[in-house]
Amino acid sequence: MIGATGIGRGARYRRRSRLQDWGHRLVLLVGSLLVLAYALGPVVWLAVSSVQDEREIVSVPPHWIPERPTLQNYRAIFFAGEKEVTYATRRKGDPSTGGYIPSTADSLLPGMWNSLKVALAVVLLNLIVGVPAAYAIAKIRFWGRSASIYFMLATRVIPDIALVVPFFLIIKKLGLIDDILSLVVTYLAVTVPFTVFVLVSYFESLPDELDKAARVDGCSRLQALLQIFLPLALPALVAVVLFAFLASWNEFLLALMFTQTPASQTLPIVVASFASDFTISFSFINAAGIVAVVPPVILALLFERYIISGLTAGAVKG
Amino acid sequence: MAHILFDKVSKRYGSVTAVDRLELEIRDREFLVLLGPSGCGKTTTLNMIAGLEELSEGDIYFDGQIVNFMPPHKRDVAMVFQSYALYPHKTVRDNIAFGLKMRRYDRAEIGRRVEDAAERLRITHLLDRRPQALSGGQRQRVALGRAMVRQPAVFLMDEPLSNLDAALRVSMRAEIKELHRTMRTTFVYVTHDQAEALTLADRIVVMRDGVVQQIGTPDEIYEHPCNVFVASFLGSPPINYLEGVLETDGAATRIHAGSFAATLPPEAAARLSPPSGEVVLGIRPEDVTGLVAEGGDAIITGRVRTVLPVGSDQYLELRVGAVDCFFRVDKGARLATGDEVRLGIDCARLHLFDKATGRSLMR
Repeated sequence: MIGATGIGRGARYRRRSRLQDWGHRLVLLVGSLLVLAYALGPVVWLAVSSVQDEREIVSVPPHWIPERPTLQNYRAIFFAGEKEVTYATRRKGDPSTGGYIPSTADSLLPGMWNSLKVALAVVLLNLIVGVPAAYAIAKIRFWGRSASIYFMLATRVIPDIALVVPFFLIIKKLGLIDDILSLVVTYLAVTVPFTVFVLVSYFESLPDELDKAARVDGCSRLQALLQIFLPLALPALVAVVLFAFLASWNEFLLALMFTQTPASQTLPIVVASFASDFTISFSFINAAGIVAVVPPVILALLFERYIISGLTAGAVKG
Repeated sequence: MAHILFDKVSKRYGSVTAVDRLELEIRDREFLVLLGPSGCGKTTTLNMIAGLEELSEGDIYFDGQIVNFMPPHKRDVAMVFQSYALYPHKTVRDNIAFGLKMRRYDRAEIGRRVEDAAERLRITHLLDRRPQALSGGQRQRVALGRAMVRQPAVFLMDEPLSNLDAALRVSMRAEIKELHRTMRTTFVYVTHDQAEALTLADRIVVMRDGVVQQIGTPDEIYEHPCNVFVASFLGSPPINYLEGVLETDGAATRIHAGSFAATLPPEAAARLSPPSGEVVLGIRPEDVTGLVAEGGDAIITGRVRTVLPVGSDQYLELRVGAVDCFFRVDKGARLATGDEVRLGIDCARLHLFDKATGRSLMR
């Protein structure tokens, strides 16, 4: 009798726990979908509306699947220079079909090329400066070692806007206004402290004895860094490369101050200029947005497997 | 070939003195063990030989040449670390070959040396694995291999066995000793394990708080410790201490320590300086002549607190007056906790230390 009751209770518990299990999964699924929709919604809209014309883009309710997909915006980006765009030529365009092309459309690809040059230079210089600096701080005892790391971190406490005027004066003095070099110099000031900080944490988590072993095995300091520490620090390197690249690629404020002509303007400045033209094509701006996110996405996909371990580098010491 | 000389070498970290005016000669091809507790400066001394630490003061000579500012990669030394410090991203083969590659040996020579070392250390089947896939003992062998292939003039080891289990440690000790015999090179070995030091060393340097306490062969250090610290550091269980008084009465020198009283043999008494005063008497656990039925001269009396059989013998923890002492007795003796026992002590092997300074009174 007692046994039978026990079995019945056991079955009830099992059924209840199965229900709880399903309920738990359902909550997780719905929650994940909500977060996904929140995060990806704007990106999907960006992509979808970049292949719509102006009339469709403003329709209510919005068309998540374009009824009349068109590549006219992308054509405009890649062949902008072939068509002369003036107020007169655009007036001929039918506003309801959206044939507008911003007057600065042909600056987009040169702007992208400028962004790429700046970002790659910043990444490269970050590594050249940041890696030896981080190794020295992490593995060599020298006077002022901890002061130097705090000093570098302190520079990150100051908001960029506060630095604009001093930066501007220095850049002007150096004669670098309207030169992409001005961006490389100022972006380094912003990104190198972060690079050093992440790499110091990572190098510190690697045992000192590895450094000693390498040096006894015949490595100079530099060889120990290149042969032993760099291969082991790959995840952290990927994180700093991504950070430096994205920070340079997306930077707006300093670029706005230091660049004046398409010769030095970067992508964010050019894209922003589309919104301040005398007529605005949202679908064109969205297409430009898609073009702008492609390089960072490619970079992220390339390094995807290192990103998470790199971002948490040094967070927990082993 | 390497003869190493420390000439008044000090190493300071801020206000902390890790090594204080060290004067030490390491002879060519000898096996020297630096022994001492944590923080005594032994690893710092080893690192200074390797060139991994700069000197604060003094000079280090390799074969008569000052090497104070010579970087590690220019010194002909190899080192085995406590944590092994194998390169995690390299295979065992590449780990072992790394030092040779950095010194630009030709490929065939590297291959030959790596194979030889691997065969000797019985790790040939592991050559293509990564260090993560190896056990502690295997990693230890790889670390030894990495140092061995270089055929260095000085072989440095920093507590290389302390991460191994007890059985493996004993067998690796024998292998390291054999390695020294066949390599015929200078070995400097750091440990805090006195058993390791006694087994391996040609000479032992006992250090404490950055200062050398005694340098000598294992026998000299064990039989004639220069102070209470050295006497305590060597031997397991450690030496027993009883406070007492030394008296010279004509030709006879007697020691009284609580209920223990003994006349020192003339040859031991002749070595005493000074021959009287307050002393600390040291008796090693094994220096007993056996259980005796009645009290008398050179007899220690105590109550058994614990009996600790160790297979070959048994150790007794005895309450002698107000102190606990350990003595080794034959395992045939049937004793139990609470028994009152009397042990005969070998008076020729007593150690006497000055009570105030802790220095040995035996010259």
